Amino acid sequence: MAPVPGSGLAKGLAVTLRTMTRKTVTEQYPDAQPELPPRTRGVIGLFEENCTVCMLCARECPDWCIYIDSHKETVPAATPGGRDRSRNVLDRFAIDFALCMYCGICIEVCPFDALFWSPEFEYAETDIRDLTHERDKLREWMWTVPAPPALDPGAEEPKELAAARKAADKLAAQQQPDQPGPDHPGQPDESGQEGRT
Amino acid sequence: MTPTTETTVGIGGAAESTDMVLNIGPQHPSTHGVLRLKLVLDGERITSAEPVIGYMHRGAEKLFEARDYRQIIMLANRHDWLSAFSNELGVVLAVERMLGMEVPTRAVWTRTLLAELNRVLNHLMFLGSYPLELGGITPVFYAFREREVLQNVMEEVSGGRMHYMFNRVGGLKEDLPAGWTTRARGAVAAVRSRMDVFDDLVLGNEIFRGRTRGVGALSAEAVHAYGVSGPVARASGVDFDLRRDEPYLAYGELQDTLKVVTRTDGDCLARFECLLAQTHNALDLADACLDRLAELAPGPVNQRLPKVLKAPEGHTYAWTENPLGINGYYLVSKGEKTPYRLKLRSASYNNIQALAELLPGTLVADMVAILGSLFFVVGDIDK
Repeated sequence: MAPVPGSGLAKGLAVTLRTMTRKTVTEQYPDAQPELPPRTRGVIGLFEENCTVCMLCARECPDWCIYIDSHKETVPAATPGGRDRSRNVLDRFAIDFALCMYCGICIEVCPFDALFWSPEFEYAETDIRDLTHERDKLREWMWTVPAPPALDPGAEEPKELAAARKAADKLAAQQQPDQPGPDHPGQPDESGQEGRT
Repeated sequence: MTPTTETTVGIGGAAESTDMVLNIGPQHPSTHGVLRLKLVLDGERITSAEPVIGYMHRGAEKLFEARDYRQIIMLANRHDWLSAFSNELGVVLAVERMLGMEVPTRAVWTRTLLAELNRVLNHLMFLGSYPLELGGITPVFYAFREREVLQNVMEEVSGGRMHYMFNRVGGLKEDLPAGWTTRARGAVAAVRSRMDVFDDLVLGNEIFRGRTRGVGALSAEAVHAYGVSGPVARASGVDFDLRRDEPYLAYGELQDTLKVVTRTDGDCLARFECLLAQTHNALDLADACLDRLAELAPGPVNQRLPKVLKAPEGHTYAWTENPLGINGYYLVSKGEKTPYRLKLRSASYNNIQALAELLPGTLVADMVAILGSLFFVVGDIDK
Protein backbone atom coordinates (compact mmCIF):
# COMPACT_ATOMS: atom_id res chain seq x y z
CA MET A 1 0.00 0.00 0.00
CA ALA A 2 1.47 3.30 -1.08
CA PRO A 3 1.18 5.85 1.71
CA VAL A 4 -0.56 9.12 0.96
CA PRO A 5 2.13 11.79 0.76
CA GLY A 6 2.27 13.77 3.93
CA SER A 7 0.19 11.31 5.96
CA GLY A 8 3.09 10.75 8.30
CA LEU A 9 3.33 14.47 8.91
CA ALA A 10 -0.41 14.69 9.57
CA LYS A 11 -0.20 11.81 12.03
CA GLY A 12 2.68 13.48 13.81
CA LEU A 13 0.82 16.76 14.06
CA ALA A 14 -2.24 14.94 15.39
CA VAL A 15 -0.12 13.60 18.24
CA THR A 16 1.19 17.11 18.87
CA LEU A 17 -2.32 18.51 19.00
CA ARG A 18 -3.53 15.76 21.31
CA THR A 19 -0.64 16.36 23.65
CA MET A 20 -1.28 20.11 23.61
CA THR A 21 -4.71 19.63 25.13
CA ARG A 22 -3.37 17.56 28.02
CA LYS A 23 -2.08 18.77 31.32
CA THR A 24 1.69 19.11 31.40
CA VAL A 25 3.64 16.67 33.50
CA THR A 26 6.51 19.06 34.16
CA GLU A 27 6.81 20.15 37.75
CA GLN A 28 7.87 23.77 38.20
CA TYR A 29 10.44 22.80 40.78
CA PRO A 30 11.71 25.87 42.60
CA ASP A 31 8.17 27.26 42.71
CA ALA A 32 6.48 23.96 43.46
CA GLN A 33 8.18 21.63 45.90
CA PRO A 34 8.10 17.95 45.02
CA GLU A 35 6.09 15.63 47.23
CA LEU A 36 8.54 13.05 48.47
CA PRO A 37 7.62 9.81 50.22
CA PRO A 38 8.80 9.39 53.83
CA ARG A 39 11.35 6.73 52.87
CA THR A 40 13.17 9.03 50.43
CA ARG A 41 16.88 8.99 51.04
CA GLY A 42 17.61 12.69 50.84
CA VAL A 43 19.95 13.46 53.68
CA ILE A 44 20.94 11.94 57.01
CA GLY A 45 19.75 13.57 60.23
CA LEU A 46 21.43 13.01 63.58
CA PHE A 47 19.62 12.88 66.91
CA GLU A 48 22.69 13.24 69.06
CA GLU A 49 21.01 12.57 72.40
CA ASN A 50 20.67 8.98 71.27
CA CYS A 51 24.26 8.65 70.10
CA THR A 52 26.54 6.67 72.39
CA VAL A 53 29.63 7.01 70.17
CA CYS A 54 29.70 3.28 69.52
CA MET A 55 31.21 4.00 66.09
CA LEU A 56 29.19 1.27 64.40
CA CYS A 57 27.97 3.64 61.67
CA ALA A 58 31.48 4.86 60.92
CA ARG A 59 32.80 1.29 60.80
CA GLU A 60 30.02 -0.15 58.65
CA CYS A 61 30.00 2.70 56.15
CA PRO A 62 31.18 1.22 52.82
CA ASP A 63 33.29 4.26 51.99
CA TRP A 64 34.02 5.58 55.46
CA CYS A 65 32.48 9.00 55.07
CA ILE A 66 31.45 9.43 58.71
CA TYR A 67 33.88 11.21 61.04
CA ILE A 68 33.40 10.85 64.77
CA ASP A 69 35.52 12.30 67.57
CA SER A 70 34.77 11.77 71.22
CA HIS A 71 36.29 11.85 74.66
CA LYS A 72 35.57 10.03 77.88
CA GLU A 73 34.12 11.74 80.89
CA THR A 74 33.87 10.34 84.38
CA VAL A 75 30.53 10.50 86.05
CA PRO A 76 30.88 10.43 89.85
CA ALA A 77 29.18 7.60 91.65
CA ALA A 78 25.49 8.18 92.16
CA THR A 79 25.35 6.43 95.53
CA PRO A 80 27.96 6.62 98.29
CA GLY A 81 30.37 3.74 97.97
CA GLY A 82 29.41 3.24 94.34
CA ARG A 83 31.77 3.10 91.41
CA ASP A 84 32.61 6.04 89.15
CA ARG A 85 31.29 5.50 85.67
CA SER A 86 32.84 6.75 82.49
CA ARG A 87 30.80 7.69 79.48
CA ASN A 88 31.54 8.80 75.97
CA VAL A 89 30.89 12.36 74.97
CA LEU A 90 30.52 13.23 71.31
CA ASP A 91 32.85 15.97 70.12
CA ARG A 92 32.40 15.77 66.41
CA PHE A 93 29.98 14.00 64.15
CA ALA A 94 30.35 14.81 60.48
CA ILE A 95 29.22 13.16 57.28
CA ASP A 96 30.97 13.87 54.02
CA PHE A 97 28.10 13.93 51.55
CA ALA A 98 30.58 14.15 48.69
CA LEU A 99 31.58 10.58 49.52
CA CYS A 100 28.27 9.28 50.85
CA MET A 101 26.72 6.67 48.56
CA TYR A 102 23.28 7.02 50.14
CA CYS A 103 23.04 3.31 50.96
CA GLY A 104 21.60 3.82 54.44
CA ILE A 105 23.74 1.16 56.13
CA CYS A 106 24.69 3.58 58.93
CA ILE A 107 21.02 4.17 59.71
CA GLU A 108 20.32 0.46 59.59
CA VAL A 109 23.13 -0.50 61.95
CA CYS A 110 22.61 2.27 64.51
CA PRO A 111 21.51 0.34 67.60
CA PHE A 112 20.21 3.41 69.45
CA ASP A 113 18.21 5.11 66.69
CA ALA A 114 20.37 8.19 66.42
CA LEU A 115 20.44 8.42 62.63
CA PHE A 116 17.48 8.93 60.30
CA TRP A 117 16.79 9.57 56.64
CA SER A 118 15.18 12.85 55.76
CA PRO A 119 13.76 13.62 52.29
CA GLU A 120 15.46 17.03 52.43
CA PHE A 121 17.59 17.44 49.31
CA GLU A 122 18.44 21.12 48.86
CA TYR A 123 21.97 21.19 50.19
CA ALA A 124 24.05 21.63 47.06
CA GLU A 125 27.29 23.53 47.57
CA THR A 126 29.66 25.27 45.22
CA ASP A 127 32.74 23.77 46.86
CA ILE A 128 33.05 20.05 47.39
CA ARG A 129 34.65 20.61 50.80
CA ASP A 130 31.50 22.30 52.02
CA LEU A 131 29.62 19.04 51.59
CA THR A 132 31.10 17.73 54.82
CA HIS A 133 28.32 18.58 57.19
CA GLU A 134 28.91 18.80 60.92
CA ARG A 135 26.64 17.83 63.80
CA ASP A 136 24.74 21.14 64.00
CA LYS A 137 23.66 20.84 60.38
CA LEU A 138 22.81 17.16 60.81
CA ARG A 139 20.75 18.10 63.83
CA GLU A 140 18.80 20.70 61.85
CA TRP A 141 17.91 18.00 59.36
CA MET A 142 16.67 15.83 62.19
CA TRP A 143 13.61 18.05 62.48
CA THR A 144 12.68 17.38 58.86
CA VAL A 145 12.52 13.61 59.37
CA PRO A 146 8.99 12.38 58.61
CA ALA A 147 7.18 9.62 60.47
CA PRO A 148 7.71 6.21 58.85
CA PRO A 149 4.83 5.07 56.63
CA ALA A 150 2.29 2.56 57.90
CA LEU A 151 3.00 -0.95 56.64
CA ASP A 152 1.02 -3.04 54.20
CA PRO A 153 -1.74 -5.15 55.81
CA GLY A 154 0.13 -8.24 54.66
CA ALA A 155 3.27 -7.22 56.54
CA GLU A 156 4.46 -8.84 59.70
CA GLU A 157 3.81 -6.79 62.81
CA PRO A 158 6.76 -4.53 63.65
CA LYS A 159 8.78 -6.01 66.48
CA GLU A 160 8.23 -2.91 68.63
CA LEU A 161 4.47 -3.45 68.44
CA ALA A 162 4.81 -7.15 69.15
CA ALA A 163 6.97 -6.40 72.19
CA ALA A 164 4.52 -3.77 73.46
CA ARG A 165 1.62 -6.16 73.04
CA LYS A 166 3.47 -8.86 74.90
CA ALA A 167 4.19 -6.48 77.78
CA ALA A 168 0.57 -5.33 77.88
CA ASP A 169 -0.67 -8.92 77.91
CA LYS A 170 1.68 -9.77 80.73
CA LEU A 171 0.46 -6.79 82.72
CA ALA A 172 -3.16 -7.73 82.07
CA ALA A 173 -2.49 -11.27 83.20
CA GLN A 174 -0.94 -9.98 86.41
CA GLN A 175 -3.89 -7.72 87.14
CA GLN A 176 -6.45 -10.38 86.26
CA PRO A 177 -6.41 -12.32 89.58
CA ASP A 178 -6.88 -9.08 91.57
CA GLN A 179 -10.10 -8.20 89.81
CA PRO A 180 -13.08 -9.62 91.63
CA GLY A 181 -15.27 -10.31 88.64
CA PRO A 182 -18.47 -12.33 88.65
CA ASP A 183 -17.54 -13.90 85.31
CA HIS A 184 -14.05 -14.82 86.36
CA PRO A 185 -14.44 -18.25 87.91
CA GLY A 186 -15.91 -21.22 86.13
CA GLN A 187 -15.72 -19.89 82.57
CA PRO A 188 -12.77 -21.52 80.91
CA ASP A 189 -13.93 -20.49 77.40
CA GLU A 190 -13.50 -16.81 78.02
CA SER A 191 -10.16 -17.08 79.73
CA GLY A 192 -8.97 -19.07 76.72
CA GLN A 193 -10.02 -16.20 74.51
CA GLU A 194 -8.17 -13.66 76.57
CA GLY A 195 -5.03 -15.71 76.39
CA ARG A 196 -5.09 -15.44 72.65
CA THR A 197 -5.55 -11.71 72.30
CA MET B 1 46.61 -4.14 12.19
CA THR B 2 46.80 -4.21 8.43
CA PRO B 3 50.04 -3.00 6.90
CA THR B 4 48.24 -0.26 4.96
CA THR B 5 49.13 3.34 5.57
CA GLU B 6 47.28 4.85 8.47
CA THR B 7 46.58 8.50 8.68
CA THR B 8 44.83 9.83 11.70
CA VAL B 9 43.06 12.99 10.75
CA GLY B 10 40.15 14.82 12.23
CA ILE B 11 38.19 15.45 9.08
CA GLY B 12 37.98 13.20 6.06
CA GLY B 13 39.02 13.87 2.53
CA ALA B 14 42.02 11.60 2.52
CA ALA B 15 42.94 10.15 -0.83
CA GLU B 16 41.16 7.03 -1.98
CA SER B 17 42.38 3.66 -0.65
CA THR B 18 43.94 5.41 2.28
CA ASP B 19 42.48 4.12 5.52
CA MET B 20 41.45 6.64 8.04
CA VAL B 21 41.34 5.82 11.73
CA LEU B 22 38.47 7.56 13.38
CA ASN B 23 37.97 7.57 17.09
CA ILE B 24 34.38 7.70 18.25
CA GLY B 25 34.51 8.63 21.87
CA PRO B 26 35.47 8.29 24.65
CA GLN B 27 33.54 11.55 24.91
CA HIS B 28 30.99 11.16 22.16
CA PRO B 29 27.28 11.75 22.75
CA SER B 30 26.19 8.62 20.89
CA THR B 31 28.26 6.34 23.09
CA HIS B 32 26.27 7.42 26.14
CA GLY B 33 29.20 7.22 28.43
CA VAL B 34 32.88 6.75 27.90
CA LEU B 35 33.02 3.98 25.35
CA ARG B 36 35.63 4.49 22.67
CA LEU B 37 35.33 2.95 19.24
CA LYS B 38 38.37 2.82 17.04
CA LEU B 39 37.07 2.66 13.50
CA VAL B 40 39.17 2.15 10.39
CA LEU B 41 37.35 3.76 7.51
CA ASP B 42 37.58 3.39 3.80
CA GLY B 43 35.69 6.43 2.71
CA GLU B 44 32.32 6.19 4.38
CA ARG B 45 32.60 2.47 4.98
CA ILE B 46 33.92 0.91 8.12
CA THR B 47 36.57 -1.70 7.45
CA SER B 48 37.28 -2.66 11.01
CA ALA B 49 36.06 -1.63 14.41
CA GLU B 50 37.51 -2.12 17.82
CA PRO B 51 35.69 -1.19 21.00
CA VAL B 52 38.19 0.24 23.46
CA ILE B 53 36.78 -0.15 26.92
CA GLY B 54 37.91 0.54 30.44
CA TYR B 55 37.60 4.31 30.70
CA MET B 56 35.13 3.86 33.51
CA HIS B 57 36.72 0.89 35.22
CA ARG B 58 36.13 1.25 38.92
CA GLY B 59 37.55 -2.06 40.07
CA ALA B 60 34.21 -3.29 41.35
CA GLU B 61 35.35 -6.89 41.68
CA LYS B 62 38.36 -5.93 43.78
CA LEU B 63 36.25 -3.63 45.93
CA PHE B 64 33.82 -6.50 46.56
CA GLU B 65 36.65 -8.39 48.24
CA ALA B 66 36.95 -5.76 50.96
CA ARG B 67 33.24 -5.35 51.65
CA ASP B 68 30.81 -7.45 53.65
CA TYR B 69 27.70 -8.80 52.00
CA ARG B 70 25.52 -5.85 52.85
CA GLN B 71 28.09 -3.37 51.59
CA ILE B 72 28.49 -5.38 48.40
CA ILE B 73 24.82 -4.81 47.61
CA MET B 74 25.53 -1.10 47.62
CA LEU B 75 28.44 -1.54 45.19
CA ALA B 76 26.75 -4.15 43.04
CA ASN B 77 23.72 -2.07 42.26
CA ARG B 78 25.94 0.55 40.69
CA HIS B 79 27.71 -1.16 37.81
CA ASP B 80 24.58 -1.15 35.66
CA TRP B 81 22.86 1.90 37.02
CA LEU B 82 19.71 1.29 35.02
CA SER B 83 19.00 -2.11 36.55
CA ALA B 84 20.09 -1.66 40.13
CA PHE B 85 17.47 -3.96 41.60
CA SER B 86 18.35 -6.86 39.33
CA ASN B 87 22.05 -6.40 40.10
CA GLU B 88 21.43 -6.60 43.83
CA LEU B 89 19.39 -9.71 43.26
CA GLY B 90 22.28 -11.75 41.89
CA VAL B 91 24.45 -11.03 44.94
CA VAL B 92 21.82 -11.95 47.49
CA LEU B 93 20.77 -15.05 45.56
CA ALA B 94 24.38 -16.24 45.55
CA VAL B 95 24.85 -15.66 49.28
CA GLU B 96 21.48 -17.21 50.12
CA ARG B 97 22.38 -20.30 48.13
CA MET B 98 25.70 -20.59 49.95
CA LEU B 99 23.96 -20.28 53.30
CA GLY B 100 21.13 -22.61 52.25
CA MET B 101 18.79 -19.89 53.37
CA GLU B 102 15.13 -19.98 52.49
CA VAL B 103 13.57 -16.64 51.63
CA PRO B 104 9.99 -15.92 52.83
CA THR B 105 7.36 -16.27 50.09
CA ARG B 106 6.27 -12.68 50.45
CA ALA B 107 9.82 -11.51 49.84
CA VAL B 108 10.18 -13.76 46.78
CA TRP B 109 7.07 -12.30 45.14
CA THR B 110 7.94 -8.75 46.07
CA ARG B 111 11.41 -9.23 44.64
CA THR B 112 9.97 -10.59 41.41
CA LEU B 113 7.61 -7.65 41.20
CA LEU B 114 10.34 -5.09 41.79
CA ALA B 115 12.68 -6.84 39.35
CA GLU B 116 10.05 -6.59 36.62
CA LEU B 117 9.32 -2.94 37.42
CA ASN B 118 13.06 -2.36 37.21
CA ARG B 119 13.07 -4.10 33.83
CA VAL B 120 10.36 -1.75 32.55
CA LEU B 121 12.34 1.23 33.84
CA ASN B 122 15.47 0.05 32.11
CA HIS B 123 13.74 -0.72 28.82
CA LEU B 124 11.89 2.59 28.81
CA MET B 125 15.23 4.33 28.97
CA PHE B 126 16.39 2.62 25.78
CA LEU B 127 12.99 2.90 24.11
CA GLY B 128 13.43 6.64 24.56
CA SER B 129 17.13 7.08 23.95
CA TYR B 130 17.40 4.90 20.86
CA PRO B 131 15.02 7.03 18.73
CA LEU B 132 16.91 10.04 20.11
CA GLU B 133 20.13 8.73 18.62
CA LEU B 134 18.36 8.27 15.31
CA GLY B 135 17.24 11.89 15.33
CA GLY B 136 13.78 11.62 16.86
CA ILE B 137 13.76 13.88 19.87
CA THR B 138 10.17 13.39 21.04
CA PRO B 139 10.08 9.76 22.30
CA VAL B 140 12.61 10.36 25.04
CA PHE B 141 10.23 12.78 26.73
CA TYR B 142 7.47 10.19 26.67
CA ALA B 143 9.87 7.58 27.99
CA PHE B 144 10.91 9.80 30.86
CA ARG B 145 7.31 10.63 31.70
CA GLU B 146 6.62 6.91 32.13
CA ARG B 147 9.85 6.37 34.00
CA GLU B 148 8.87 9.08 36.42
CA VAL B 149 5.60 7.28 37.23
CA LEU B 150 7.43 4.07 38.00
CA GLN B 151 10.31 5.74 39.78
CA ASN B 152 7.86 7.36 42.19
CA VAL B 153 6.56 3.92 43.06
CA MET B 154 10.08 2.54 43.49
CA GLU B 155 11.10 5.54 45.57
CA GLU B 156 8.13 5.11 47.86
CA VAL B 157 9.05 1.52 48.63
CA SER B 158 12.84 1.73 48.75
CA GLY B 159 13.70 5.39 49.24
CA GLY B 160 15.88 5.50 46.13
CA ARG B 161 15.09 6.39 42.56
CA MET B 162 17.95 4.49 40.96
CA HIS B 163 20.06 2.75 43.56
CA TYR B 164 17.32 1.03 45.47
CA MET B 165 19.48 -0.78 48.01
CA PHE B 166 16.35 -2.74 48.93
CA ASN B 167 17.60 -6.33 48.81
CA ARG B 168 19.14 -7.95 51.81
CA VAL B 169 20.46 -11.44 52.26
CA GLY B 170 17.37 -13.39 53.30
CA GLY B 171 14.77 -11.03 51.89
CA LEU B 172 14.14 -7.33 51.62
CA LYS B 173 15.10 -4.35 53.77
CA GLU B 174 11.59 -3.63 54.98
CA ASP B 175 7.99 -4.34 54.10
CA LEU B 176 5.85 -2.41 51.65
CA PRO B 177 4.15 0.78 52.85
CA ALA B 178 0.38 0.62 53.27
CA GLY B 179 -1.47 1.28 50.02
CA TRP B 180 1.66 0.84 47.95
CA THR B 181 0.32 -2.12 45.98
CA THR B 182 -2.65 -0.05 44.83
CA ARG B 183 -0.38 2.74 43.70
CA ALA B 184 1.96 0.26 42.00
CA ARG B 185 -0.98 -1.25 40.16
CA GLY B 186 -2.07 2.24 39.13
CA ALA B 187 1.42 3.05 37.88
CA VAL B 188 1.62 -0.16 35.84
CA ALA B 189 -1.81 0.53 34.33
CA ALA B 190 -0.86 4.13 33.54
CA VAL B 191 2.36 3.11 31.82
CA ARG B 192 0.62 0.35 29.88
CA SER B 193 -2.12 2.73 28.71
CA ARG B 194 0.47 4.97 27.11
CA MET B 195 2.75 2.33 25.65
CA ASP B 196 1.11 2.85 22.25
CA VAL B 197 3.40 5.86 21.93
CA PHE B 198 6.23 3.41 21.38
CA ASP B 199 4.15 0.88 19.44
CA ASP B 200 2.86 3.42 16.93
CA LEU B 201 4.77 6.67 17.15
CA VAL B 202 8.23 5.12 17.31
CA LEU B 203 7.94 1.68 15.79
CA GLY B 204 5.50 2.86 13.13
CA ASN B 205 7.66 5.78 12.12
CA GLU B 206 8.86 5.44 8.51
CA ILE B 207 12.19 7.10 9.18
CA PHE B 208 12.80 4.95 12.22
CA ARG B 209 11.99 1.79 10.27
CA GLY B 210 14.06 2.94 7.33
CA ARG B 211 17.10 3.52 9.50
CA THR B 212 16.87 0.27 11.42
CA ARG B 213 15.48 -2.43 9.15
CA GLY B 214 18.21 -4.61 7.69
CA VAL B 215 20.90 -2.59 9.45
CA GLY B 216 23.47 -4.36 11.58
CA ALA B 217 22.20 -7.91 11.31
CA LEU B 218 23.77 -10.11 13.98
CA SER B 219 23.83 -13.82 13.23
CA ALA B 220 22.93 -16.45 15.79
CA GLU B 221 26.46 -17.89 15.40
CA ALA B 222 27.97 -14.55 16.37
CA VAL B 223 25.61 -14.39 19.35
CA HIS B 224 26.96 -17.71 20.58
CA ALA B 225 30.55 -16.86 19.75
CA TYR B 226 30.54 -13.59 21.66
CA GLY B 227 28.29 -14.67 24.50
CA VAL B 228 25.69 -12.06 23.65
CA SER B 229 22.57 -12.33 25.79
CA GLY B 230 19.32 -10.62 26.62
CA PRO B 231 17.00 -8.95 24.13
CA VAL B 232 19.91 -8.47 21.71
CA ALA B 233 20.49 -12.22 21.52
CA ARG B 234 16.79 -13.05 21.29
CA ALA B 235 16.44 -10.67 18.35
CA SER B 236 18.85 -12.94 16.48
CA GLY B 237 16.69 -15.97 17.14
CA VAL B 238 18.57 -17.29 20.16
CA ASP B 239 15.67 -18.40 22.30
CA PHE B 240 17.25 -18.25 25.72
CA ASP B 241 15.83 -16.60 28.80
CA LEU B 242 16.88 -17.59 32.29
CA ARG B 243 13.47 -16.68 33.64
CA ARG B 244 12.07 -19.56 31.64
CA ASP B 245 15.05 -21.88 31.21
CA GLU B 246 16.39 -21.77 34.75
CA PRO B 247 13.67 -20.10 36.79
CA TYR B 248 14.77 -18.21 39.85
CA LEU B 249 12.62 -16.19 42.29
CA ALA B 250 8.95 -16.80 41.48
CA TYR B 251 9.36 -17.08 37.71
CA GLY B 252 8.70 -20.81 37.88
CA GLU B 253 5.08 -20.05 38.76
CA LEU B 254 4.76 -17.26 36.22
CA GLN B 255 5.38 -19.38 33.15
CA ASP B 256 1.96 -18.75 31.60
CA THR B 257 2.39 -14.97 31.89
CA LEU B 258 6.02 -14.94 30.86
CA LYS B 259 6.50 -14.64 27.13
CA VAL B 260 9.99 -14.90 25.78
CA VAL B 261 10.04 -12.61 22.78
CA THR B 262 12.23 -13.64 19.90
CA ARG B 263 12.85 -12.37 16.41
CA THR B 264 14.90 -13.96 13.67
CA ASP B 265 16.17 -11.00 11.66
CA GLY B 266 18.83 -9.90 14.14
CA ASP B 267 18.83 -6.35 12.79
CA CYS B 268 18.39 -3.11 14.73
CA LEU B 269 14.63 -3.16 14.20
CA ALA B 270 14.35 -6.71 15.56
CA ARG B 271 16.34 -5.72 18.63
CA PHE B 272 14.07 -2.75 19.24
CA GLU B 273 10.96 -4.87 18.73
CA CYS B 274 12.24 -7.43 21.22
CA LEU B 275 12.87 -4.71 23.77
CA LEU B 276 9.43 -3.22 23.24
CA ALA B 277 7.58 -6.53 23.44
CA GLN B 278 9.56 -7.44 26.53
CA THR B 279 8.51 -4.18 28.17
CA HIS B 280 4.85 -5.08 27.56
CA ASN B 281 5.46 -8.52 29.01
CA ALA B 282 7.27 -7.11 32.06
CA LEU B 283 4.22 -4.96 32.79
CA ASP B 284 2.02 -8.06 32.60
CA LEU B 285 4.40 -9.94 34.89
CA ALA B 286 4.31 -7.07 37.37
CA ASP B 287 0.53 -7.26 37.42
CA ALA B 288 0.64 -11.02 37.93
CA CYS B 289 3.05 -10.53 40.86
CA LEU B 290 0.72 -7.93 42.39
CA ASP B 291 -2.18 -10.37 42.08
CA ARG B 292 -0.23 -13.08 43.85
CA LEU B 293 1.04 -10.70 46.50
CA ALA B 294 -2.55 -9.78 47.36
CA GLU B 295 -3.44 -13.46 47.87
CA LEU B 296 -0.48 -14.29 50.08
CA ALA B 297 -0.94 -14.73 53.80
CA PRO B 298 0.66 -12.06 55.97
CA GLY B 299 4.22 -12.86 56.77
CA PRO B 300 7.73 -11.55 57.07
CA VAL B 301 9.81 -10.23 54.18
CA ASN B 302 13.19 -11.02 55.62
CA GLN B 303 15.15 -13.37 57.82
CA ARG B 304 16.83 -12.56 61.06
CA LEU B 305 20.51 -12.38 60.29
CA PRO B 306 23.48 -12.86 62.59
CA LYS B 307 25.41 -9.70 63.46
CA VAL B 308 28.32 -10.87 61.38
CA LEU B 309 27.16 -12.64 58.28
CA LYS B 310 29.65 -15.15 56.88
CA ALA B 311 29.09 -17.25 53.81
CA PRO B 312 30.38 -20.79 54.40
CA GLU B 313 33.47 -21.98 52.58
CA GLY B 314 32.72 -22.93 49.00
CA HIS B 315 31.70 -21.39 45.72
CA THR B 316 28.59 -20.84 43.68
CA TYR B 317 27.51 -19.11 40.51
CA ALA B 318 24.23 -17.21 40.53
CA TRP B 319 23.00 -15.79 37.27
CA THR B 320 19.91 -13.80 36.58
CA GLU B 321 18.16 -12.51 33.48
CA ASN B 322 18.88 -8.83 33.91
CA PRO B 323 17.13 -6.32 31.67
CA LEU B 324 20.18 -6.13 29.43
CA GLY B 325 21.08 -9.81 29.48
CA ILE B 326 22.68 -12.41 31.66
CA ASN B 327 24.22 -11.04 34.82
CA GLY B 328 26.19 -13.53 36.85
CA TYR B 329 28.11 -13.52 40.10
CA TYR B 330 30.68 -16.21 40.80
CA LEU B 331 31.10 -16.16 44.55
CA VAL B 332 34.05 -17.85 46.20
CA SER B 333 34.06 -17.75 49.96
CA LYS B 334 36.66 -18.90 52.45
CA GLY B 335 34.21 -18.54 55.29
CA GLU B 336 35.11 -14.93 56.00
CA LYS B 337 32.65 -12.09 56.22
CA THR B 338 33.92 -10.80 52.90
CA PRO B 339 34.07 -12.92 49.74
CA TYR B 340 37.42 -14.31 48.67
CA ARG B 341 36.48 -13.51 45.11
CA LEU B 342 33.30 -12.24 43.52
CA LYS B 343 33.50 -12.41 39.77
CA LEU B 344 31.00 -10.30 37.94
CA ARG B 345 29.73 -11.33 34.54
CA SER B 346 27.86 -8.38 33.14
CA ALA B 347 25.66 -8.42 30.07
CA SER B 348 26.90 -5.27 28.35
CA TYR B 349 30.53 -6.41 28.37
CA ASN B 350 29.77 -9.36 26.13
CA ASN B 351 27.12 -7.61 24.08
CA ILE B 352 29.46 -4.80 23.13
CA GLN B 353 32.16 -7.18 21.87
CA ALA B 354 29.85 -8.10 19.00
CA LEU B 355 30.54 -4.64 17.57
CA ALA B 356 33.79 -5.92 16.10
CA GLU B 357 31.66 -8.33 14.09
CA LEU B 358 28.73 -6.02 13.39
CA LEU B 359 30.36 -2.81 12.28
CA PRO B 360 32.78 -3.81 9.48
CA GLY B 361 31.08 -3.29 6.15
CA THR B 362 28.56 -0.77 7.38
CA LEU B 363 28.47 2.97 6.83
CA VAL B 364 29.53 5.46 9.45
CA ALA B 365 25.99 6.84 9.44
CA ASP B 366 24.66 3.43 10.48
CA MET B 367 27.25 3.09 13.23
CA VAL B 368 25.15 5.11 15.66
CA ALA B 369 22.05 3.04 14.86
CA ILE B 370 23.91 -0.21 15.48
CA LEU B 371 25.68 1.03 18.58
CA GLY B 372 22.45 2.25 20.15
CA SER B 373 20.62 -0.95 19.32
CA LEU B 374 22.99 -3.02 21.46
CA PHE B 375 21.40 -1.46 24.57
CA PHE B 376 24.38 -1.20 26.84
CA VAL B 377 25.36 0.74 29.92
CA VAL B 378 29.01 1.77 30.02
CA GLY B 379 29.27 1.10 33.73
CA ASP B 380 28.16 -2.43 33.01
CA ILE B 381 30.93 -2.84 30.43
CA ASP B 382 33.76 -1.42 32.47
CA LYS B 383 32.59 -2.58 35.90
